[in-house]
Amino acid sequence: MNDRVVEVSNLSKQFKEIKAVSNLNLNVYRGDVFGFLGPNGAGKSTTIRALLSLIRPDSGTIKILGNSLKEKRKQILSKVGAIIEKPDFYGYLTAYRNLEILARLSGKEISRNRILELLELVGLRNRAKSKVKTFSHGMKQRLGIAQALLHDPELVVLDEPTTGLDPQGVKEIRDLIIRMSREEHKTIFLSSHILSEIEIVANRMIIINKGTAVVEGEVKDLLNSDTVKVKFEVDDSVKAKKAVENTGWYNKIEAVSENKIVFMLDQNEAGLLNKHLVENNVTVNAIIPTRSLEDFFLKITSEAG
Amino acid sequence: MATKILFILFYLLIFPQSKDPDKILENVKEEFGKVEDYVVDVSIKVDIPFLKMPERKARIFYKKPDKYYIDSEGFALLPKEGMNFSLLTLLNSEHSALYEGEENINGINAALIKIIPLDENRDVLRSTLWIDASRNIILKAESYLKQAGIITIEFDYLKTSEGFYLPSQMTFIINAPRMFFSSRLNKGPFKDNSEKEDSVKTEEGKVYITYSNYKVNKGLKDDIFEKKD
Amino acid sequence: MLTLIRIELFKIFSKWRTYIGFIAVGLLISIVHLAMYLEGQSSIDRMTSDLRESFIFVGNLLNGYWISYLILNSLAVHIPFLIALVAGDLLAGEATAGTYRLLITRPVSRMQIASSKFIAGSIYTGLLILWLAIMSLGIGVLIFGSGELFTKQSEAIIILDKSDVLWRFLLAYGYAFLGMAVVCSLAFFFSSLVENAIGPIVSTMAVIIIFLIISAIDVEILRDVRPYLFTSYINQWHEFFNDPVDYAAIRDAVLILAAHIVILFGITSYIFNKKDILS
Repeated sequence: MNDRVVEVSNLSKQFKEIKAVSNLNLNVYRGDVFGFLGPNGAGKSTTIRALLSLIRPDSGTIKILGNSLKEKRKQILSKVGAIIEKPDFYGYLTAYRNLEILARLSGKEISRNRILELLELVGLRNRAKSKVKTFSHGMKQRLGIAQALLHDPELVVLDEPTTGLDPQGVKEIRDLIIRMSREEHKTIFLSSHILSEIEIVANRMIIINKGTAVVEGEVKDLLNSDTVKVKFEVDDSVKAKKAVENTGWYNKIEAVSENKIVFMLDQNEAGLLNKHLVENNVTVNAIIPTRSLEDFFLKITSEAG
Repeated sequence: MATKILFILFYLLIFPQSKDPDKILENVKEEFGKVEDYVVDVSIKVDIPFLKMPERKARIFYKKPDKYYIDSEGFALLPKEGMNFSLLTLLNSEHSALYEGEENINGINAALIKIIPLDENRDVLRSTLWIDASRNIILKAESYLKQAGIITIEFDYLKTSEGFYLPSQMTFIINAPRMFFSSRLNKGPFKDNSEKEDSVKTEEGKVYITYSNYKVNKGLKDDIFEKKD
Repeated sequence: MLTLIRIELFKIFSKWRTYIGFIAVGLLISIVHLAMYLEGQSSIDRMTSDLRESFIFVGNLLNGYWISYLILNSLAVHIPFLIALVAGDLLAGEATAGTYRLLITRPVSRMQIASSKFIAGSIYTGLLILWLAIMSLGIGVLIFGSGELFTKQSEAIIILDKSDVLWRFLLAYGYAFLGMAVVCSLAFFFSSLVENAIGPIVSTMAVIIIFLIISAIDVEILRDVRPYLFTSYINQWHEFFNDPVDYAAIRDAVLILAAHIVILFGITSYIFNKKDILS
């Protein structure tokens, strides 16, 4: 059985002189929470729009749920839910009416209760009868998530789903994504600038830059294969710095502040460094590793130029 | 006015009067004067270039000497000149009559009388009447109008139950320049109405009025004629 | 497909701009009725002044039919604008609102989307013409009564019997709908090219006004162009009030207008199908 939910092969798209996407390949497997990353202008939006048939690729193939998007578009889209960038609705209609219209276009029987249920889920139940033009950005974002889930899709494409949400909202979306993945076994294709969110929820990811894939794989593998930022909280950072002066660790200092000194260390080096500091009479109050996707991302994208 | 008098004199020189035209006309007026009033149903059929209209029905009320009222369920139009009361109006106005002999009209020897109105303000320049002197009725009339060319009217008669000879059919033959029929016909308030001048080409149009169901001298009240259209 | 059409109609009639057309038509006709009530008789008298010199007029030509006929004459200018107002927004409005993304990611084909929008726009057009008919003919006859219809066709005056008028109006309104459906198609076409509804509305009116001006200028080279302009056929409904009716001329005009609709819709569907949605 083909476990691949999304298969993109040699996808290319050019807008006038600009090559937005160039021979992009990616695969998303069933049950993945797939992180889709890239700097601004990397081609993320173009790729997502191509996946959802908003854009026609110049070349390449897209298969979703085992079917060619070109040939079985309607069948595919009946099983895909999406939120693309800033969600827009028919402002002159109520939240309920907007969802009702979209429900009727989904090709499935979607009951009134289901719509109300989703509004409840995204915290908009009490605003069901309000016109969407009165909604804040965050509320529209929530409504966007509701419309993506209306027809209980197998693949959910989320493009910046937490933009404009308060921290509570961000957490709720994160929890929802995790629940959709673990309990409802949906496949999530998640594009976000909030790298920490990706790091928490995604199991696989791709980073693209200038329209092509730079790296793709399991998040944990990608992040484990490299150095780790470790913050040492000490009583005297000057003393700590002096303690490593004649060691290889000196060149690994990232930052020094009053009671903190940050090192970029290889895996398992933290313990050895700690022992060295203690032997040199530095009091270490805490060791905080930050296995940072942000650092990884910045490193990878700058390497890719 | 002077021109007219000169014309009459010249005419008299060429065509000496063998019968008294005024007497003949007086007889016609007297005969028609016996009709105090009548009501008649008419059917109007129009055969005029640039005017299409279905056959219309109307009812004409007449009371001596010149009151008339036309009633119609819908719209109808009737030629102004030549309704027999308007011919009589012509006869009752100041005019000069000239006898021109006789002509056969449908087997009847009709007296040919030319009438020139002396009132220069009238629309009629001159008229010719063919009169059946035995019954004192007009068989045919031909009028030259200032604006509208020539109108010829042919009369057919019936004898009413009351014994009067009144028209059963009048056929109007209008020979007029094209402009008469179609000039300055407005396209309506929303469109440009600048006039399109056609050439002064004459066209012939006909109107047929059929009369039936006369009720003569039944004593019509004046208030009928005070009704507005 | 029916669901899509219902949704599009719902969207159209949920917008206040849709009602501008109905209100405008209602107001305009009411003003015309008032003017006719006050001055209509003198207007007709002026129009028939020449005939009145030689004929006695019996009865009244000022009636609901005549006024409706006059109102239909103004079809070429004010109704197209009201149609473009809605039709121009059908596709461009989705782009402006950003709702293309919502719509096109649904399991419906772009052809279905385009068709349903076009049909809904045509239904709106039909309803507007129906409203025009009700207001001018329905209310007009109620206020002014019915009667003979006095019209001018190709230099001839035609007076139609009362009983011979209504069926002509029904066909004329039907034909008017076809003419306005071309306007709808044109605005719909422009709507597919841009992402703002103002452009299609202005473009549609510009095309109509330019075509009307070309038709009005009596210069030989422009006369040759006239048969190719759809505006030359919009007022062909006059033919239904001719006696006899030239059905061949009407048939030709109907075919030409229908061809415009098919071609414009075809091009629009093609464009919409190929369009990259970047909004």
